[in-house]
Amino acid sequence: MFSTYLVARRDYLGYVTAWGFWLGLLFTPVILGIFMFAPMLAQNSAPTRYFAVIESGDEFTKALQTELQSIQVTAARASLDLVATAQGSSSDKTDLFDAALENGASVQEALAAAGGSQIPLPLPDFVMVPAPESSLEALQPYLSGQRMVDTPKGEQPLFAVLNIPADGSAIQYWSENLQIRDLRDLARRAERQLAEERVFAEAGVSSRLLKDAQRAQRPIEELRLRADGGEGTTAVTIEDRAPFFMSIMMAFMLWFLIFSVVNYLLMGTIEERSNKIFDSLLTSVKLPNLLAGKLLAVLALALTLMAFWGVGSSILVMIGQERLPAEFASGMGAVLMAAANPALFIPAILSFVLGYLMYGSLFLALGSLCDTIQEAQTLMTPLIVMLMAPLFMLAFAINDAESALIQTMAWVPFFTPFLLILRMPTEPPLWEVLAQLGLMAFATVVILWLATRVYRAGAVHGSSVNDVGKVFKALLPGNKSARQEP
Amino acid sequence: MATQNPLEMRGATKWFGNFQAVKNLDFSVPQGSIVGFLGPNGAGKSTSLRMALGVLSPDSGEALLYGAPPNLTSLRRVGFLPEERGLYKKMSPRQIITYFSRLKGMSGRDARKRADEMLEMMGLGPFAKSRVSRLSKGMSQKVQILCALAHRPDFLILDEPFSGLDPVNQMALEELIVEEHKRGATIVFSTHVMEHAERLCEKIVMMARGRKVFDGTLEDGFTALGRAVKIGVAEGFDLNVIMEPAGYTLEVEEADVWRVSLSPQQDPQNALRTAIDGGAPITSFLPQETRLRDVFVSLVSEAEAQDLTDTLNDSMAARAEQEAA
Repeated sequence: MFSTYLVARRDYLGYVTAWGFWLGLLFTPVILGIFMFAPMLAQNSAPTRYFAVIESGDEFTKALQTELQSIQVTAARASLDLVATAQGSSSDKTDLFDAALENGASVQEALAAAGGSQIPLPLPDFVMVPAPESSLEALQPYLSGQRMVDTPKGEQPLFAVLNIPADGSAIQYWSENLQIRDLRDLARRAERQLAEERVFAEAGVSSRLLKDAQRAQRPIEELRLRADGGEGTTAVTIEDRAPFFMSIMMAFMLWFLIFSVVNYLLMGTIEERSNKIFDSLLTSVKLPNLLAGKLLAVLALALTLMAFWGVGSSILVMIGQERLPAEFASGMGAVLMAAANPALFIPAILSFVLGYLMYGSLFLALGSLCDTIQEAQTLMTPLIVMLMAPLFMLAFAINDAESALIQTMAWVPFFTPFLLILRMPTEPPLWEVLAQLGLMAFATVVILWLATRVYRAGAVHGSSVNDVGKVFKALLPGNKSARQEP
Repeated sequence: MATQNPLEMRGATKWFGNFQAVKNLDFSVPQGSIVGFLGPNGAGKSTSLRMALGVLSPDSGEALLYGAPPNLTSLRRVGFLPEERGLYKKMSPRQIITYFSRLKGMSGRDARKRADEMLEMMGLGPFAKSRVSRLSKGMSQKVQILCALAHRPDFLILDEPFSGLDPVNQMALEELIVEEHKRGATIVFSTHVMEHAERLCEKIVMMARGRKVFDGTLEDGFTALGRAVKIGVAEGFDLNVIMEPAGYTLEVEEADVWRVSLSPQQDPQNALRTAIDGGAPITSFLPQETRLRDVFVSLVSEAEAQDLTDTLNDSMAARAEQEAA
C-alpha cells in the first residue's frame, strides 16, 4: 500500500508542478464562462439595424411594430419567469406584467409594474425609421451605404426597405445583407397576422373580439402530489426542481472531470513508456499497486480541480451575494441543498468513483501501448468519440430522463455513471438503481482486469498500438502467440 | 546453516510467440560473488535477468531470488540497472534517487540524505536539483546507476552497465562495482565486452542463442578452450613428424609457423623441449595467451553451429515427413 502512495504522490506532484496544469486550472472556468455567455454576448453586441417601410397606409407598419415589440415582451417575460420560479410564484409576476401591457403600458413600464424594474431589456435588433425617400429608385443610395438615414442615434446606414404594394401583390424586401434574415421573418409573421385578421373580419369577427378571446385564456398552475402535504397537492417550487438542476450539474461535472483528467493518465503513461522506466518500477512495486497509484494520483488531481473551482465559485458567490436578488440567492441555496440528499449523493459518489476507474483504466492501458504522442493521436478519434457519447446521452436525458432510450442506455455501463445521476430525481425503483450500480461495478472490475493485462503487455512485453489485435489475443487464457519478441 | 544463493535459475525457459528466447537455463549466483553474464546480442541475457527479477515469468522452470520466486521482500534486497535506461525527465537526480530508494523501503529522510551523499561522491552534487532533461547522457547514466545502488542492496543485477559510458567512466564504474563487492554485495552483470568480465568476475555464465554454453570460473573457461604455442621453423621443416608421436596436435598456421595445441596436461616448455630434442631448426617460439574473447568466440561459434545444425535437421525432417505423406 505504501508503494501505491509513493507512486500516487510522485505522479500527483509531477502533474501539479507542470505549468499546463495551472493554465488549465485558471483558464478552464474562464473559457467555460466565455462559451456559456458567448451567445448572450454575441446577441447583446449585435448592432441595432435601421429599416424603412414604404406603404400607402399604415396597416402593415403597425403589424410589424407589434411583432418588434413582441420580441421585447418575450425577453422580459422570460426574465420574469426566472425570478418567479426562484421565488416559487410561477404566474403572479407574469400576470401582472401582461395586465400592465393590456392597459397600454410600455414593456419597461409593465416590467416595473410586475416588480422587475431591475431587469435590463436587451437593445432592439431592428428599429423602424421614416423612409427618407418615397421611391425605391431614390432609396438605392441609402441601401448601398452611399447615404445615411436620420435615426435617434444620429446618421446610420439603412439596413433594409420593405415595399408594401397597394394592389395586394408580393411584399418586397430590399437589403444588401443576405445573411441576416430576422427582419424578413418578422415581416412574414406580421403579414400572417394581418392575413388572419382579414379572414376573421370577412367572417364577421372583429379584432377586438379576437383579443378578448386571447385574454380569456386561463393560467396553468403547476402542482404535484406530496406525501406529507396537508391537502395532498401543492404548487411546484424551486425546492421541487432543485434535485433536477443538481443532478444535471453533477452529471456534467462528472463528465467534465473525466474529460479533463483522463488525458493526464494517457500522457503520463506514454512518458513512462518512452522513457523506458517500467522495468525499474516493476522491480520495486507490484503492477496492480503501480496502476492503483496512477489512478489515485489523477483522482487526487481531479479533486484538486474540484476543490479549487468549488472554493473559487463560493468566494465569487459570497462577493456577489449582495448584488444578486434575494430570490436568486435562495434558489441557489435550494439547489445546493439538494446535493445533501442521500438518494442523490450516494449514487452520485459511487457513479463518480466507478466511472472514473472505468474510463481512467482504459486510458491508462491505451497509453501503455504508445511510445509517442503521435501514436496516441491515432487513438484520439475513437477515444474522443467514446468520451463524447455520454455527453450526447446527457443532452437527451436532460429533456426526458425517463424516456425509453435513456432508460435503456442507463444499463450500458459506459453511460450508467452519467445517466443514473440524472435519473435519480425521477425516483426510479430501488432494484433498478442497485442493479445498475452492481452492473457498473462488475463492468469496472472487468475493465480494470483487462486494463491490467493490456498494461502488462505494453509495459513488460513492449506491445504497441499496432499490436492491439495481438494484445486482445493475449487476453485469451493460455494463448502464447501474441507475445512480443524481446 | 548453508548460505542461500541470491539467484538460482532452474530450467528456466521463455517463449515469445514462436521464438524461444531462453532455453532450459540453469545457473546459480553464489553469495558474495561477482558473476559475468556474457553473450552476444540477442542471446537471451536481458530476458533471463528480467525473469530473475520477476518482470517476466518463465514459461517453464523457475527463477528463485533468495530461495523463492521474486517478491517485493526479496526484490528490496536487489538493485537493478536495466538495459534500457530511463528516468523521469522532469525530475531532478535527487528526487529520482530518493523516489526509487523509498520504493525499496528507505525512509524519506534517509533516502534524501543518501541521494545527496551519492551525488556528491559521483561528482553530480552541483546538478542534484537540475532537471534530468538538462543532464548529459553520461550524467543521466550515472544517476540511473545511483538509483540501483542507493538503498545499499545485497544483490546487484546490472544489465549492460558499461554500455554508453566513455572509457574513463567505464573504469570508474568498475571501481564502483569492486567497492560494492567489498561492501558485501553479490553482483551479476551482463556484458558483451569481455575485458570488463576478465577484470572483475570470479565466475562466468555464457549464453548464445538462448542457451547456456558455459558456466564456471575464468580458469575453467581457459581450460575448456585449451592453450597453444606457435613454433616457427626454418627451410620447410616438418615439425609434425617429430611432435605428433609425442602426443601433440599441430597445424600449419602460416608458412613455416606451426600452431601446437596443448591439452590441460601439456606444458609449453615441454613442447619446446620436444621440438629442440627432435632437431627442429627453430626460428621463433610464442606461447599463445588465451583471452576470454577466444573462449567466448569459440563457444558462441559452437553454439551457433549447433543451432544451425539443429535447424537444418528439423527442416530436413519436416521435409522428409512431407514427402512421405
